Parts: sequence; structure tokens; C-alpha cells
Amino acid sequence: MALTTVDHSALKVNQAGIIVTVLVAFFGSWVLAGNRLVLLLIPLLGVVLLLGTFAPRLALFKQLYFKVLKPLGIVKPRPVQDRPEPHNFAQGLGGVFLAISSVLVFLPVDARTSVLTVGLGLAIALLVAALAFVNLAFGYCLGCQIYFQLGKRGLIRA
Amino acid sequence: MSIQLLALAVAGMVVLAAAGLEAARAARARRLVTGATSGASTEPYILYFTGENCTVCRTHQEPALAKLGTVRVDKVDAIAERELADRFEVYTLPTTVVMTAEGRALHVNYGYAPAQKLDRQLAEARSGAKLERTATA
Repeated sequence: MALTTVDHSALKVNQAGIIVTVLVAFFGSWVLAGNRLVLLLIPLLGVVLLLGTFAPRLALFKQLYFKVLKPLGIVKPRPVQDRPEPHNFAQGLGGVFLAISSVLVFLPVDARTSVLTVGLGLAIALLVAALAFVNLAFGYCLGCQIYFQLGKRGLIRA
Repeated sequence: MSIQLLALAVAGMVVLAAAGLEAARAARARRLVTGATSGASTEPYILYFTGENCTVCRTHQEPALAKLGTVRVDKVDAIAERELADRFEVYTLPTTVVMTAEGRALHVNYGYAPAQKLDRQLAEARSGAKLERTATA
């Protein structure tokens, strides 16, 4: 498969968007104890990531970059000869984990059990944000490594 | 305990466990690979495992390899040459293997390896070769 040009600034903005949204949901739920409304950001983020995986023009943070941040010169473009598939795969994986996190956070269970389910749901969301941070800061993309492993085992056409 | 503290504790434990497993995996792979052989050469060289999907290879590893100057770098597609990749326990990309002139793996770097580190490892491979030559002379 041929390489194309991928603007890595769009990927970085996407990662920053994931980190900020999860942190707002996490600390918002902490500050506004008992108010789960702010936790709705987690399923919303999951939907944004999954939509962006299958229809890139619906990727909210990337569109924010292409329509606002790049034209205004706030974020400079960084085109790299690359393949978009591993990045899309990683984004989709993040979306799936946020979907699992959302199910756990909004699972209708009694108050005692909800400490566990909401806690686990938030932990998964925090891990997604942590991996986005590692990618943003150090360029290490775990989803891309999983994509490589699947390709190596012939499970996907990498 | 607050839900948020529980979430932080769980996420922290997962990160620590993952880091520990990764370190153990890399150490085990290094142990298995050290001494593995490939073709001989007149000078120490580098086996560079990469792939079309590896972004860090293009953005970080290749510029670092270019800084090494005239060192021989054998680029290997880890997917296309799976047998060779398996011999060197390549589980992540990029992976760089510093080979002695005799074709023996001296150092294995899983993940991005900066030019300075590779330079140091190559110097070690050269001095080792010199010592062996002196000993057999």
C-alpha cells in the first residue's frame, strides 16, 4: 500500500482533544460530586472517535484543526509521508474503550456496586487519555503497535 | 473511598503493571536475541526492522540512523521478512540490532533508539572486534 501525506498536527490536536475531554469529565465529576451530567462527555467522546474512524470528515477535533486552528495559524501543519490506517485503527480502539467505559459509568446498578462500575469506567477513560498523552508527548502509539502485531499474524491486511 | 480515587488507583496500577510487563518482555527478548547471527561484514552494522505502518520509524528512527554517517544499515520489512523478525524477537517497531562484524547481535533496541545510543553501541561493537583481533593476532 502506498504512503500518503498525513498531517501529524491533526493527529496531535485529536490526541489533545481526547486528553482535555477525559480530564474535564474526570475532574468535573470529582468537583461536582454526585452530578453525573459531566460524565456524559465520555460517551460523547467515544461517539466522536468512532464516527471519525469510519467517516474522517466527522472527526470533530481534526475538523477543528483543519477549519479553525490551521487557517488561523494557531497550529502549524506537519505533513509526514505516512499511512493513515494505523492511526485510524488506534482512534477506533480508543472509541471502543470509551464505549466500554460509558457502559460501566452509566450501568443502572445499586449505589454500592456503582462505586465499582463507575470507578472502573473512569479508570478505562483515564487509560485512554494516558495513551493519548504518551502518543502526543513521545510519539508512541500503542494502537499502531497492535495494528502491526495483527498484521504480522495475518489477522488484518497491514 | 471516592470513585475518582478508585479510578486513579486502578489506572495507576494498570500503567505500572504494563510498564513492568514491557520491561520484562524487552529484557527476555534481549536475552534470547543476544548472540543471534546474521551475515558477516567488514564493519559492525545495524539491522533496522521497520514497516510501512511505522510512523516513528519515519519521523524519529530514520533521521537518527542518518546521523550515524557511513554505518551500514540493513533495512528489513518486519512483515515481509517475518522469519528474520521472529529470530530477533521483533515485537515492536522500530527495532534496531547492532551487529558485530562477525554477524553476532550485540545490542537490541526495542522502540526508538536515539543516534547517541546507537553510536555508543557501535563503538562497543568496534572495540570488541579490535580486542578479538588483538587476542587472535
